[in-house]
Amino acid sequence: MDNEKVGHDVALRSARVYLPLSLGAGGLFYLAATLTGDHTLVARMGGAVWVTLLSLIVSMPIVTSRVKKSSRA
Amino acid sequence: MTETSLALNVPVEGMTCASCVSHVEGALRELPGVSEVTVNLATGKASLALEPGRSSLADIQRAVADVGYRIPIAEITLDVRGMTCASCVAHVEGALKELRGVEEAAVNLGMGTARVRYIPGVATAGQMKRAVREVGYEAQERSAGTDALDRERQAREEEIRRQGRNLLVAGAVGLVVMAGTFYDMLGPLQRLVPVWLSYKWVLGLLTTPIVLGPGRQFFVHSWRGLRHGVTDMNLLYATGIGAAYGIAVINTLFPKAGFGGEGATFFESAALLTAFIVLGRWLEALTRGRTSEAIRKLMKLQPKIARVLRGGTEEEIPADEVEVGDVILVRPGESLAVDGIVREGYSAVDESMLTGESLPVEKKAGDAVIGGTLNRTGAFRFEATRVGKETALAQIIKLVEDAQASKAPIQKLADWVAGHFILGVHMLAIAVFLFWFFLGYNLFFDPQSSFILSPYKLGEIGVFGFSLLLSVTVLVISCPCAVGLATPSAMMAGAGKGAEHGVLFKGAEAIENTSKLRIMVFDKTGTLTKGEPSVTDLRVEGVAREGRSPHRMSEEQLLQWAAATEKNSEHPLGEAIVRAARTRGLPLPEPESFNSIPGLGVEAQIDGRSILLGNRRLMGERSVTFDALLPEAEKLEADGKTVMFVAVDGSPAGLIAVADTLKEHSAEAIRRLHQLGLEVAMITGDNRRTAEAIARQVGIDRVLAEVLPQDKAEEVKKLQRSGKKVAMVGDGVNDAPALAQADVGMAIGSGTDVAKETGHVILIKDDLRDVVVALEVAKATMRKVKQNLFWAFVYNTLGIPIGAGLLYPALRVVVSPELAGAFMAISSVSVTLNTLLLKRFVPSLGRPARPTHPVGLAVDQLPASAAAGE
Repeated sequence: MDNEKVGHDVALRSARVYLPLSLGAGGLFYLAATLTGDHTLVARMGGAVWVTLLSLIVSMPIVTSRVKKSSRA
Repeated sequence: MTETSLALNVPVEGMTCASCVSHVEGALRELPGVSEVTVNLATGKASLALEPGRSSLADIQRAVADVGYRIPIAEITLDVRGMTCASCVAHVEGALKELRGVEEAAVNLGMGTARVRYIPGVATAGQMKRAVREVGYEAQERSAGTDALDRERQAREEEIRRQGRNLLVAGAVGLVVMAGTFYDMLGPLQRLVPVWLSYKWVLGLLTTPIVLGPGRQFFVHSWRGLRHGVTDMNLLYATGIGAAYGIAVINTLFPKAGFGGEGATFFESAALLTAFIVLGRWLEALTRGRTSEAIRKLMKLQPKIARVLRGGTEEEIPADEVEVGDVILVRPGESLAVDGIVREGYSAVDESMLTGESLPVEKKAGDAVIGGTLNRTGAFRFEATRVGKETALAQIIKLVEDAQASKAPIQKLADWVAGHFILGVHMLAIAVFLFWFFLGYNLFFDPQSSFILSPYKLGEIGVFGFSLLLSVTVLVISCPCAVGLATPSAMMAGAGKGAEHGVLFKGAEAIENTSKLRIMVFDKTGTLTKGEPSVTDLRVEGVAREGRSPHRMSEEQLLQWAAATEKNSEHPLGEAIVRAARTRGLPLPEPESFNSIPGLGVEAQIDGRSILLGNRRLMGERSVTFDALLPEAEKLEADGKTVMFVAVDGSPAGLIAVADTLKEHSAEAIRRLHQLGLEVAMITGDNRRTAEAIARQVGIDRVLAEVLPQDKAEEVKKLQRSGKKVAMVGDGVNDAPALAQADVGMAIGSGTDVAKETGHVILIKDDLRDVVVALEVAKATMRKVKQNLFWAFVYNTLGIPIGAGLLYPALRVVVSPELAGAFMAISSVSVTLNTLLLKRFVPSLGRPARPTHPVGLAVDQLPASAAAGE
């Protein structure tokens, strides 16, 4: 029970960090693609989604493990 | 208790009275953040409320230990299914280590096990299984012996069947999808393929069941992992397959969407990528189990049934129900259920499967027998002395399992690299996507470019489709499965190969350290030598008088008289002389009188003659001069032998030299160690002259003489200061501190009571050549580890840049995701196959590996002579 409670708390706190980070990366990509060429809307949107997804995959474990460490400290 | 505090129920060992309770309670109450402490003496438990962050479980353990008690640590092994790579190892370990109360978790990818050390009551097996399941794997407690074997085999067979079914579906339908995709290029074969098969929506309909069927496992595992913030190989596959399939569906349903249109429907990529990944999984499942064959062979030795005598009647009961003291009946051809002592009967028992001893060993009343060995000829009864986990077979299995489950330093590094690799690859995939999206496409894209090994043109693919394609290819081609398998598969095979030859490594670190040894230190007495003196030389003075007529005395006569004189002596040198006479079959007359002269020798009257036997000083005192034999005596003494002088009726008769003799294979083993480039040293408490004499005989490079037993460890430490890895070979009892101090301690001739042995490597037989076997097995294993790691990293090092499009500007070709999937499958299968070559390893000293025997061999399956007990 205790482990589950702690786990849930960590997941929530982590999501508050990695979700904005990933969405920010996707948004940044969209902005850059819009400003730097004549990319179609589909390419910009698709690229933003792909960058967001990969950023999420990268940031999730990093952030989660840091939050876990800080919660244990 | 505050809202955030945790209720803990911790077991405490060592409490015997009420004051213990108050000590423990007091110690716990002093910890910050600990409240509501109640210690129960009857249950041996401490209940408390803990505020996380203020004190930890380690603080609690320390506090309890400080007042003289102990929080016990339990160990459990879980069978974990679904792990495919080193990052899976990291995830499972991480999930287990995060549990409160878990001290240590070591996951073995090759064996599919997790060994967990935990505080019982704080962490439970149920929590561990749930934690493993939550990160996407299946876990269950491992049961002992044959049950574990059956379960493991069933699990492996089920995995092979499952991936086989997946492969059949993905492979067959994938080929049809490929034929439809390349319809225009089929040439004369076009007649065999209906045109409708090339329609995009038909290809989509065919690919969908592949992605949702055989490919579903990757999405399910990825999702389970992602929910808990972990990423693994499955995510690489899922993103690869998902991206290829998603783009293909969009381009089929909405060709104007700008993702490359109908020219970029990668249905065949999604289908074949799935097929290749499943092919890799299937081949891995087929080959991986074979690296742990040794443990299965050992487990199979355990018979399931024992025939015991209870209440005067014969009963067949399950072997694990045999109790100490039970009398067990064994017929020819049957395996022994447990360890024991023969009480009645006579037979020859084949112990080769456990000790490596190739010849059957004769057994009579009073002899010890080992469970799992095979009775060859006669029938006998024995009394069980060790059952269940205490038997030699169970101890050996445990030792080999522990070795296979442990991690070598090199493996820890490889796991760390592979575990962090996934994140690195995803970062690289972002970089590749950004490069091709913003720069590469405009600079280099050519619609006529194609995939490697494919006539398929990229055509009208847009900037997003092209960048995504390369990004996905990087994800797929980077899979570090091979890196994760490289070390554990070789370690498992190596530990098993050692056990086959009676060499038990206590952990993968022992294998790695053994392979790096530069100095081998042997204990002298009992290790290099037999440890008991024996007669080595006899020299006759020339003439002895019998009555009035002189005649030449024979060596037999000299030995006979000396032995008869020493017949009642308990001195080791005297016993050696008596033993030598008896070995030669000489009758020993009873002395008419006997007198022991302390520190000098003995004298006796035999057949009316006065025999004097002793050292030079005794002969001097009795004025017997040995002028003619003195040079010979000095030469023998220079060889480290103890010389005894024999006088008959006051005249010199001859010399008898006694020495601790070398074991049969000592010289051969040391010669081979020299060939392997090792420096060989000998350590002994003996005087330097004796030690050097022995050293000369076997070719020892360095002699450490006159070293007291308690100083041996210090001598080993001195050798280690040179920076070289040092092994100490000893009998495992007297040499325990030195064995522990050495980088590798080898306990030799331990027999089968392996659990009690000190040392990192246990050599079951008393054969020094097994030191060489240990060294060669370790070197062969580490060679395999290095080869595997080399090929695994070469694959990734070459594959990733090519996958990222490095060759595209020059050659206008890219690697398709399905080809990347095929490369990935080949790399992990090639690593496993390379490891399997270790099964062919044979030690250089040329002894055949011990034979393996069919299990549960029935009497009627034996040769007629054996069955008849001839």
